Amino acid sequence: MDFMISVPTVIVGLILSSVLAYVLTKANKILGALVTVLASCGALAVMFLLRSDIGSTQNFFMIGFKLTEYGWFFSTLMILIFACVSFFNLYWMKKIIHPAGYNFLYLIALAGTIGAFTAKDFIGLFIFWETIVWASMFIIPFGKSRKASVVYYAFSAFGSLSMLFGILFLYSKTGSFDIQYVLQQAGSNLTYALVAFITIGIAGLVKIGVFPFHLWLPQAHGNAPDTFSPILSGGLVKAGGFAAFLVTAVMPSLKAFASSFTFLGKELIMPLPNFAFVILGAISIVIGTLMAIKQEDFKKLIAYSSVANGGYIIIGLAMMDSLSVGGAFMHMFAHALASAAAFLSIAAVTHRTGTTKMSELGGLIHRMPLTYIVYLIAIISMAGIPPMSGFISKWMIFQSMINKGMVFVAAAAFFGSIGSFLYVFRPLSAVFLGQLSPKHENVKEAPFLMQLPMVVLSLLTLAFGIFPNYILHPISDIMTSVGMEGLQLEGLIIRGTNGVLNPSLVTLIFGIGFIIALIIFVIHPKSRKVDLMDTYTASEFIYTPELLHYSHNFYAPFERLYENAPSTAKWYNLLIKKIEEVGAFVSYSLFSNKPRTAVFWIVCATIALLWGGSL
Amino acid sequence: MMIKGILTGLGILLFAFIWQTSLDGINRKIVGRFQKRVGPRWYQQFRDIFKALSKTGVTHGWVYDFGVMMALGGIMATVMFLPVVSVSAFPGFDNFFIFVYLFAVGMLGMAMSAVGSGNPLAGIGVMRALTQMVGYEVPFMIVILGIIYGHNTSSLSELAAIQQANGILTWNFVRMPLGGIVAYISMLGMLGKKPFETFIAPAEIASGPMVEYGGKQLGMMIIMHEFATFIEVTLFVTIFLGGATTLVGFLAKYFVVYILASLISNALARFKIDQVIKFYYKVPIALAIVQALVVIFLGWGV
Repeated sequence: MDFMISVPTVIVGLILSSVLAYVLTKANKILGALVTVLASCGALAVMFLLRSDIGSTQNFFMIGFKLTEYGWFFSTLMILIFACVSFFNLYWMKKIIHPAGYNFLYLIALAGTIGAFTAKDFIGLFIFWETIVWASMFIIPFGKSRKASVVYYAFSAFGSLSMLFGILFLYSKTGSFDIQYVLQQAGSNLTYALVAFITIGIAGLVKIGVFPFHLWLPQAHGNAPDTFSPILSGGLVKAGGFAAFLVTAVMPSLKAFASSFTFLGKELIMPLPNFAFVILGAISIVIGTLMAIKQEDFKKLIAYSSVANGGYIIIGLAMMDSLSVGGAFMHMFAHALASAAAFLSIAAVTHRTGTTKMSELGGLIHRMPLTYIVYLIAIISMAGIPPMSGFISKWMIFQSMINKGMVFVAAAAFFGSIGSFLYVFRPLSAVFLGQLSPKHENVKEAPFLMQLPMVVLSLLTLAFGIFPNYILHPISDIMTSVGMEGLQLEGLIIRGTNGVLNPSLVTLIFGIGFIIALIIFVIHPKSRKVDLMDTYTASEFIYTPELLHYSHNFYAPFERLYENAPSTAKWYNLLIKKIEEVGAFVSYSLFSNKPRTAVFWIVCATIALLWGGSL
Repeated sequence: MMIKGILTGLGILLFAFIWQTSLDGINRKIVGRFQKRVGPRWYQQFRDIFKALSKTGVTHGWVYDFGVMMALGGIMATVMFLPVVSVSAFPGFDNFFIFVYLFAVGMLGMAMSAVGSGNPLAGIGVMRALTQMVGYEVPFMIVILGIIYGHNTSSLSELAAIQQANGILTWNFVRMPLGGIVAYISMLGMLGKKPFETFIAPAEIASGPMVEYGGKQLGMMIIMHEFATFIEVTLFVTIFLGGATTLVGFLAKYFVVYILASLISNALARFKIDQVIKFYYKVPIALAIVQALVVIFLGWGV
């Protein structure tokens, strides 16, 4: 019975279903996609049953599994996103180049994420981590571009190799692969701790897309199949949060770096390595925000917004006090739901109209009202506005930022927070509001099976924004399980360091305000319905709806202010050139068929031989 | 307890409406005299609102109406949290961030409704309003960071109580003058007073977001504007001028802050939108950071 439901069973079950999905897709595409739906929903149900099993360990052949509090949180969140997105697979079978491979890899990626979050030792973690990378690497080119996949793999390989180096280094010093044990040991030695922090931390930073490793996100998210972008942005990116959490909290970074609390003789509010992470987070918030404002393609826009939100998560995790880490977890949760919902609503629009360019769309609210509401709720959460869950997390992270008095980091965070109003409003205005183009006159609302997961995600975002304590209690348990102080929660209230928040009260008062406004609206004379083209045009006669739709180059005056700013892409291009030059030199000097290189090496060898032992 | 809080909130709402709408009328009169006109009567703004509400207007679809209700609802909810003359509907829960972000609900509603009208001028107006928000909000929040850090509370009523301890000398405006000046300049941007009137710009983009409104939607938007003004001015009065313990004191401070803003507005011309950002991201943001650093590292002004 014990074997029946446990983590290895879920993983093996998913791997078997992935094979089944592959075979069935060859026979019937829809049937194969249905397997992904059933398997991921089944995995979600089993994961909920496993809540009572936290702390248990299982061995499956060589690999050990341990279900920790944080592992359960991450796995459940991830399966939830996979399960919601899987409904969209049913409609995408015709559009994807290789449907059988897609369904197979979809479930393999899911198995990999669960494995990575529940692995007991580092080798298991690394194997499953690589499974995710490889599965998604093969899925991304099923969409628009092969190059995106190369960029994704290049960055991921850097992160993975960095992690592998860290794992092997720690093994050579501690003689164990067990995650908990190794990290505890590393925590008591400054050098080990620093190596673990940097190497595994970098793997996390790459995965979550923090500056300077953020360039793969817009490439991969923007070009992946529309059904896989929400998985990347809502789900897999959060694995970076997991890796960062391992080195900041599971390895007690505050204790490990207790001696590095000073810089140039001044006492710091947090250890220097954590500070470095916070600064990288702040830079990614600013860059992500500025770049998101510029985008014309809405998948890339949300990809850059994930960069900015990754910044908040890293800042929260690196600051290492109970509010900030709690806020980071809440933000991972809120952003996973919101960005998955946003990508799904966009996928629904693409399904009906066939484009992701914002300037070609408009006025779809009159054809797809439900999709619009889903997108609206998602962006309200992303922008951190009550009553959605994104507000709670931002509030918590701001609390601890202010408490620590970090002016510049907070300035970046405030900029990102207000800047997010700009970029989330852009698709709202360009895609859903404004004039409806005549070519989209006959567009219909998304089909029911697409609406279902979108509505579920929106309701969760709303519910945990009004009653966040239902999720903050488990988060608080996670923090106490790694030896941190828990959150201060009383009933519906969250207590911060310099204020109290009652999200239910805020929602209630907003409800009252809305009802008063509704009453004012209803008791006054009814308005006459007019067409969208019946607007003020200063006596010009315009009959083309597209000409009356302001969507192209939306923030032009703002963009102009930073168009000449240095670009990270340029640095990477320079790096690529240098690597190519080195490669050309090596191939010229070693693998050339020209006599002069052969002569050169013969001379070198002869000199070396003549010199003999003294060289 | 909850019922009492809600009733208090509704009371504050009513007070805010009557006071700010009257003051807007008085302001129109003062501006009239400033420009050597007679100006309308002090209750002209009430007349305008009720006239607009009673007219039959047009609607451009459900989001146009829904956005108006969301805007007014969000802004009214924000007003209900405000502490006025030591009266707070929900003491302790009047967190500064609620005012920034609940306010944003209303703004989002307005933006949605305006762009939902299908008029490109409204879209341009919303773009400018959002861009301007990036300009004024960041310096303002940095100043507030210093204040919250210094006083170790983000509750508005507690901040007001702390400042009332020793008269004018404990006001944040006196103790943190740089921050106070920056916050006042930011407030001009929030109120949309010249030189930061770019997103309305009647002669340029036909009142921007407001271009399509008429009838009851326009009436509700004017009410929303009055409430928004009340929030912004009261925030400044509470955070920097120590709130007030008496009604007369509150009204006097409010009057001075608001009328001064209006007079400044009438003496200046309008910035272009990129000039607005450049302006805020030069001197005000530098002063704000200096102020915050002074509070945090030197401990002055607390």
